[in-house]
Amino acid sequence: MIRTEGLVVRAGEFTLRDISIDVKAGGYALVIGPTGSGKTTLLEAIAGLSPPMAGRVWLHGEEVTLLPPEERRLGFVYQQYHLFPHLSVRDNIGYGLAGPRQNHDREARIAEVAGLLGIESLLDRGVARLSGGEQQRVALARALAPRPAVLLLDEPFAAVDPATRRVLRRELRLLHEREGITTLQVTHDFEDALRLGDHVAVLSEGRIVQQGPPEEVFRYPNSTFVAQFVGAGNVLAGVVEALAPAEGNPPRFRALFHTDGLTLDLLAEREGPAHAIVRPEDILVSREQHQTSARNRLEAGIVRLERLGPVTHVYLDAGRPLVAAVTTASAEEMALKPGERVAISFKAMAVHLV
Amino acid sequence: MTDPSRWTRPLLALLGGVLVLFIVGPILRLLLMATPASLGQALADPEVRQSIGLTVLAATAATLLGLGLGLPVAYLLARRTFPGARLLQGIVELPVVIPHPVAGIALLLFLGRRSVVGGALGRLGLEFVGHLPGIIAAMLFVSVPIAVSAAREAFAGVDPRLERVARSLGDGPWQAFRRVTLPIAGRGILAGALLAWARSVSEFGSIVIITYNPKVASILIYDRFTVDGLGGAAPIAVLLLLLALGTFILIRALQPSRSR
Repeated sequence: MIRTEGLVVRAGEFTLRDISIDVKAGGYALVIGPTGSGKTTLLEAIAGLSPPMAGRVWLHGEEVTLLPPEERRLGFVYQQYHLFPHLSVRDNIGYGLAGPRQNHDREARIAEVAGLLGIESLLDRGVARLSGGEQQRVALARALAPRPAVLLLDEPFAAVDPATRRVLRRELRLLHEREGITTLQVTHDFEDALRLGDHVAVLSEGRIVQQGPPEEVFRYPNSTFVAQFVGAGNVLAGVVEALAPAEGNPPRFRALFHTDGLTLDLLAEREGPAHAIVRPEDILVSREQHQTSARNRLEAGIVRLERLGPVTHVYLDAGRPLVAAVTTASAEEMALKPGERVAISFKAMAVHLV
Repeated sequence: MTDPSRWTRPLLALLGGVLVLFIVGPILRLLLMATPASLGQALADPEVRQSIGLTVLAATAATLLGLGLGLPVAYLLARRTFPGARLLQGIVELPVVIPHPVAGIALLLFLGRRSVVGGALGRLGLEFVGHLPGIIAAMLFVSVPIAVSAAREAFAGVDPRLERVARSLGDGPWQAFRRVTLPIAGRGILAGALLAWARSVSEFGSIVIITYNPKVASILIYDRFTVDGLGGAAPIAVLLLLLALGTFILIRALQPSRSR
């Protein structure tokens, strides 16, 4: 487990205050916040790499607040990986295995972790010419090799291209399921939280403004900041059913997404359980249903209107709660009011699966 | 309108050519003075051999001493901000601007028999004026800024997060320094140390004041020049030049290729 209580950390020009996080053993938690919100410093404080000004830290059931990092039994992966440039991939992975350990054990563990991450073929190379994804895997392998009790990840996907990011995300999730290491990741990408985490904490101006299961935070943001930051919205748990064979590159197929009270048209890459996301600004609100190219055309009741300057969020009930974003000018022109029925539509391509 | 490159290029080529000639010319001229016979004769001279040996020994001692004293300071300056950091850095770099005879006189006053420090060390058997320790002290004074600056830059070039990763992998602070920081900064530190060593070998102005005898190579050259003239000084000068060129090639080989 990873637990902090009332942690106060100085991060550059500002201070993180009263950070209390609780990740149960084997859990995967994410702290999300904008760039420069002190996420890295928070991880460093938990790792003992940067001293907190106040508060306490527990790892795997022990209080470690006063322990130096080398005694905390943790793995730490920085955003830029920070592989040791003077060592081969093998020696990077084996770095934390040095010491009294037998050479044979060391080699066996290096091979095991490299196998886990699919980087056996890289072992004898230097680290200078590795791709971003390869560096990421080596950094993870290096952190995992000494069998840490907890894993701390700093924006692990920020420095790789989107395609690699998707692959790595999937791998990391499998790895977590397999190894069961309690993991805390910081990210600025809410998609990471939806795909990976079972707990998410949103950091803003040095404080945690909301935490809970990712779906809940996504669906019920408790402040405008959280709503805007996580991209406010429509996240629906459900199942994908294919309607046609896949084609194109990447291969996609027409499909239906079944969720409680609602069925959506979409293009999908895989079948089975998934989360569908529809961004509020992709939902068109009109008085009457027009003939359009949008595959998803629904009737909905207006529950509530929330004006955020030039943008107004329209909270709807379409069998499932949905939120649409329209310009405040349009909302006024159409004289939208709570209790009224409206027509909403969005394209199949506006439904994103995660 | 004339294309400015039509006259700037030849002008730059001319200026560059003059500069190169100005540096390479004297060096080549001196090398041409040397015949295998004259060099052999110079090497056969026991005073020359002793003098070069003394120079190499003293410069090596000064460099090692400079590293021992300077590396911790260099690391501190590269890694931490603390009150007085700028002052400390200024002090360490100060000898660069002090004229060498001035440094020699200052060292003489500080380490001489009649000074507090020199007197105390003298009673412990450590004599500076007119002895090897005096040469080493003078060399250390003029060369330590070079070693410390180079080491500071080399340390600053090692991302502190690499050390933190090492700590998270079970290293204590000293282990992380030894296994990560030092190997990565090593080339830069070594290049700086060689530069400091070459600077020590070339020192004349301060040594001539604190320890004229036994003579280091630069003083022997001066001594032979005043007594025997150019013919007596040149072969020894060539030997010292060859030593310096060898060191220079080593330093260049250590520097990363991008700055070459």
